[in-house]
Amino acid sequence: MSHSASHPAAGSPAGSSTARGIALGAGLLVLALVPLMVGASPYMLGLLISALILAGLALSWALLGNLGGMVSFGHAAFFGVGAYASALLAARLNVPVLLAIPIGGLFATLSSLAMLPALRLSGPYFALAILAYAQIFRILATELDWLTGGAAGLQRFPSLPTVFGLDLSERAGSYVLVLACVVLFALVYVVIRRSHVGTALRAIAESEDATRVVGVNATVLKTWMLLLSAFIAGVFGALNAHIIGFLEPDYAFSGIWSVMPIIAAVFGGYRTVLGPIVGAVVIYLFDQVVAKSLIPVGHQILLGIVLAVMVLVAPNGLSGLVARLFPRSEKHHAEA
Amino acid sequence: MTELVLQALFSGVLIGGVYALVALGLALAFGAMRIINLAHGELVLLAAYMAYLVESRTGLDPYFAIPLALIVVGVASWILFLLVDRIKDHRELNSLILTFAIGIILTNAILLLFASDVRTTSSAFLQDAVSFGDVYAMRGELIAFVLALVLMGVLWWWLKSSWYGRAVRAVSSNRGAAQLMGINPTRIETVSFLVAGALASFAGIALYTMSVVQPATGHALTVKAFIITVLAGVGSIPGVFLGAVLLGLTEALTVTFASSALQELAGMVLFLLVLFFMPNGLFGARARRG
Repeated sequence: MSHSASHPAAGSPAGSSTARGIALGAGLLVLALVPLMVGASPYMLGLLISALILAGLALSWALLGNLGGMVSFGHAAFFGVGAYASALLAARLNVPVLLAIPIGGLFATLSSLAMLPALRLSGPYFALAILAYAQIFRILATELDWLTGGAAGLQRFPSLPTVFGLDLSERAGSYVLVLACVVLFALVYVVIRRSHVGTALRAIAESEDATRVVGVNATVLKTWMLLLSAFIAGVFGALNAHIIGFLEPDYAFSGIWSVMPIIAAVFGGYRTVLGPIVGAVVIYLFDQVVAKSLIPVGHQILLGIVLAVMVLVAPNGLSGLVARLFPRSEKHHAEA
Repeated sequence: MTELVLQALFSGVLIGGVYALVALGLALAFGAMRIINLAHGELVLLAAYMAYLVESRTGLDPYFAIPLALIVVGVASWILFLLVDRIKDHRELNSLILTFAIGIILTNAILLLFASDVRTTSSAFLQDAVSFGDVYAMRGELIAFVLALVLMGVLWWWLKSSWYGRAVRAVSSNRGAAQLMGINPTRIETVSFLVAGALASFAGIALYTMSVVQPATGHALTVKAFIITVLAGVGSIPGVFLGAVLLGLTEALTVTFASSALQELAGMVLFLLVLFFMPNGLFGARARRG
């Protein structure tokens, strides 16, 4: 449903980037309205909320991968830090939830600062460094039980409030809020990509040395992408925490939150804005509805296969396939 | 107190041998192909489960699983190479994602076949304690350590003296020049993946006889191998061995003086410290900067 709803945008032929931007917004809006209009069951809405949380996470992963040229195997760290920071701020310091969520994102940004020395490492080493780094926070959250409640988890923290008569803690309200955040960050992504910063980042991806020579500080730009990516991941971690109302280290910092965005973004096409979002919805529903019923334990094996096949057969993901079927004239594929 | 420290140091050195084998396999495949195999820890895990399979089905000593492990892991490593070799665009990035995906597939395949329980050897012979004055070791730990030393010696000799070993080094240092000298790079890459697979086979069986394994171990091993690489640099076998022993010591001391839950954290902290303060590794190996 959501898949087909957003297809027109992904496959819009030719057209200026503005037209595609509008199509993107329209596609997402349709996506927003369909479940509410058809009165989807609470179960279905719940699935879609989780899928959109994953979409936000996949978007933040793709932003780092596409604009920053870095593969992250550790987005679970940012997701978990955002979740814990927001929940603890709301519970212990009575920070309003809607304020605590972006502050949670800022904490995730803060945690990504520890990754900065790894930016000096080249591609594969950065990927491995962040893989190792993600483990630290899960262990910390388990061990610092005076702060986090330890392995037992954190249960009593406020849920989302009611704003302008819309109860955000209800499924429909949560859905609208999460969707709004996905759209907001997708727009931020588009704005950055069109800006001078985006141009410079594309140039860095082509040749970092050549870019340095003309006076672009590649490290600073990559740093900004890492900080922003961590912020977005943290915000969605926080949203997820307040929606499900429960946190434990093995859940909040689960490797799932590192693995799923990669699969979603690669499946949808991580060099596009819409790809990770569509990919997340498709992959999440596939995992929950199909894979889990086929193989209750170890269903991730199917996701692994999907990821391997996509990298080998269609490294540019669904959007790459769509572009191959409806070729656009004179468009660079990395910009599609 | 001194005994505790000595015991921790001793155990740390012993596990360091196996860690070194894992890290060398990772480094070998990286050297030839400039690709980090994120499924390398899972290959080690696969070998460990072959040892479990043989021991639980036949009652034989886990070391009898060596031929089976060599075949299974060798084939897996070869398939992995063939798949990675198919990648043409954005090779560095896509190969990372591909090997990561293969790691997920292997971990979950092992989970499906062998369940998530923690496994270790049941051999009384391997679990017997041997004492050296005040410190003790399981016989399995000693055998594994000696095996690791022997394999490192063999690998050192192979890289230094054999035609294939020298070809691997040639391709690692300059692929184009090696090709002009009549070396077929694809063949050499295959060989280095197979040797990495063989190292992983021995490492997996050794790990099974001296420690515990479960499906999540594979991923943890890849991380450990990487930490060792950061500590040592990709330069030399002795450097990797020292890095591995350092990691083993750090973990063992953490378990003794803090808690076993912090074991992994200690490795990470060591890793971050080196990354911050000595970005070229402890032993001043070649630069890894981009």
